[in-house]
Amino acid sequence: MKKVSPFGPIARLLVQAFMILIVVASVLPLYNVISASLKSLDEYPTNPILLPQTPTLDNYQYAAFSGHLLRFTVNSLVYVPIGVVLYVVVCVLAGYAFGKMRFALRRPLFLIVLFMSIFPQLLLAMQVSKLISLMRLTNTGLGVILSWVAYFAPFGTYIMTTYFTDMPYELVEAARIDGASQVRILMSIMAPLALPMVATIAIIGFQSMWSELPFSMLILQNEALRTVTVGIAVLRGEYGLRVPILSAALVIAMIVPLLIFLLFQRYITLGVTAGAVKG
Amino acid sequence: MIYPVVMNIITSFTEWKGYGPWKWIGLANYKTMVADGQFWTSILNTGLMVLYIPLSTVVTLLIAAFLREGIGGWKVYRAILYIPNLLGYVLMGVIFSIYLRDDGALNMAIKRITGSAIHFLITPILAINVVGFLLVVFLHLGFGLIYFLAAMNGIDKSIYEAALIDGASFRRTLFEITIPSVRFAVEFWVVFNFIEVFARMFSFIHTLTQGGPGYSTFTLEYGIFIQGFSKFKVGYSSAWSVVLFLFCAIISVAQIRLMQRRDE
Repeated sequence: MKKVSPFGPIARLLVQAFMILIVVASVLPLYNVISASLKSLDEYPTNPILLPQTPTLDNYQYAAFSGHLLRFTVNSLVYVPIGVVLYVVVCVLAGYAFGKMRFALRRPLFLIVLFMSIFPQLLLAMQVSKLISLMRLTNTGLGVILSWVAYFAPFGTYIMTTYFTDMPYELVEAARIDGASQVRILMSIMAPLALPMVATIAIIGFQSMWSELPFSMLILQNEALRTVTVGIAVLRGEYGLRVPILSAALVIAMIVPLLIFLLFQRYITLGVTAGAVKG
Repeated sequence: MIYPVVMNIITSFTEWKGYGPWKWIGLANYKTMVADGQFWTSILNTGLMVLYIPLSTVVTLLIAAFLREGIGGWKVYRAILYIPNLLGYVLMGVIFSIYLRDDGALNMAIKRITGSAIHFLITPILAINVVGFLLVVFLHLGFGLIYFLAAMNGIDKSIYEAALIDGASFRRTLFEITIPSVRFAVEFWVVFNFIEVFARMFSFIHTLTQGGPGYSTFTLEYGIFIQGFSKFKVGYSSAWSVVLFLFCAIISVAQIRLMQRRDE
């Protein structure tokens, strides 16, 4: 079948050119970072734009070891997955409770969850870091994981709630007549059906926690414990740090998010739309 | 949740360093705030960001409508434009701080053509607009495309075919079919952008300009950080927080209204 389009050949060409222009403009900063990271410290000032003439991996070695980017990445790879698991458990349980159970104050509590999901982190940062230090969790992975789960769970809970609300109520009724408990209904009927959405909020949680800055910056003051995001933000502030080294650090920090994108693209698309569009 | 908010309000009436003893000073923090140029700059800057929201909405919608027409390679475009959302504000802030600095690659290229650099991050009025454009328009583009394309996907294809047979132009289908059909998505997009401007800008500003030059790229959120965590005037920073909280409460009411309308 011939594809119908309102564009004539010239309009089509113009639109195509416009798109290519935008894409190129948005890729240039990334190209710049990657190409700078491969230039020697001497080459960069004389050749900031073009491709490196004598590519070198020295900057990567420096950023990974002397700049501790490798250690920071490992830290993130420990904290974030634990955080995501806790986050998913909290969101699924709370989402099920809001979506399929009836209890006092359900509606006001849900409105509070909605409100919490837009809260600026800086409003909470002072009190959260005080709370974490009262629990003697400052400078611990557990401290930062707890702060992440507490901060990001409301949004995930909101998504799971709308998902569970849309599921047919007959499923719950039928199981209850068979004498299944709430826990059983959730674990063996609802949760498996909700699996794609669970994967989606897991990806959302992963991305949010991976690039989270204020809480981890305040809670993890010990350099050895920093996440990769905090590490990059601190490197950025270091006076006189050479651009090629900072660029290499950036490229190292990009690897995990890009891998996640390549592996879970489908769920990311779902995640973007889950917050608002239905059907 | 209630606890930090209440504590915040109480703290805003005190003088406190974040540790040690408190001192009740009544409304003094608020008086200082109203007389503080940094506070008003932050408010104005936040307002300026809001002005970028219409541009962001129009650009994103238009590109989504282009891609919907099945322009060759649209999936590739969509994926590439999503990369900034993937990397997050911290990485993107640092990437642009390298790219836009006076001796950065972009300025070197500009210098070769025009002979002089553009001080993107040094001229105050330019810096705040760079922040606004990058954050509100550019960084959200990829997210918006996926979001609007999904909404446009729900439109019945036969309507477009019928319109084409009638000889409708792209502009007519855009205004008479596409935009009315995704109206809800557009409303959500605007609210989402408000949330981003008031509540999610800290990481990007901190890594791109660090609030500078001077305090010309402060927003409310960034001011709270500087007063509270850099100058340790926690009581004073709490007064700023109360103002930000009020703004967020308004946005939240708009958001909840929107969601309730959808559920009906």
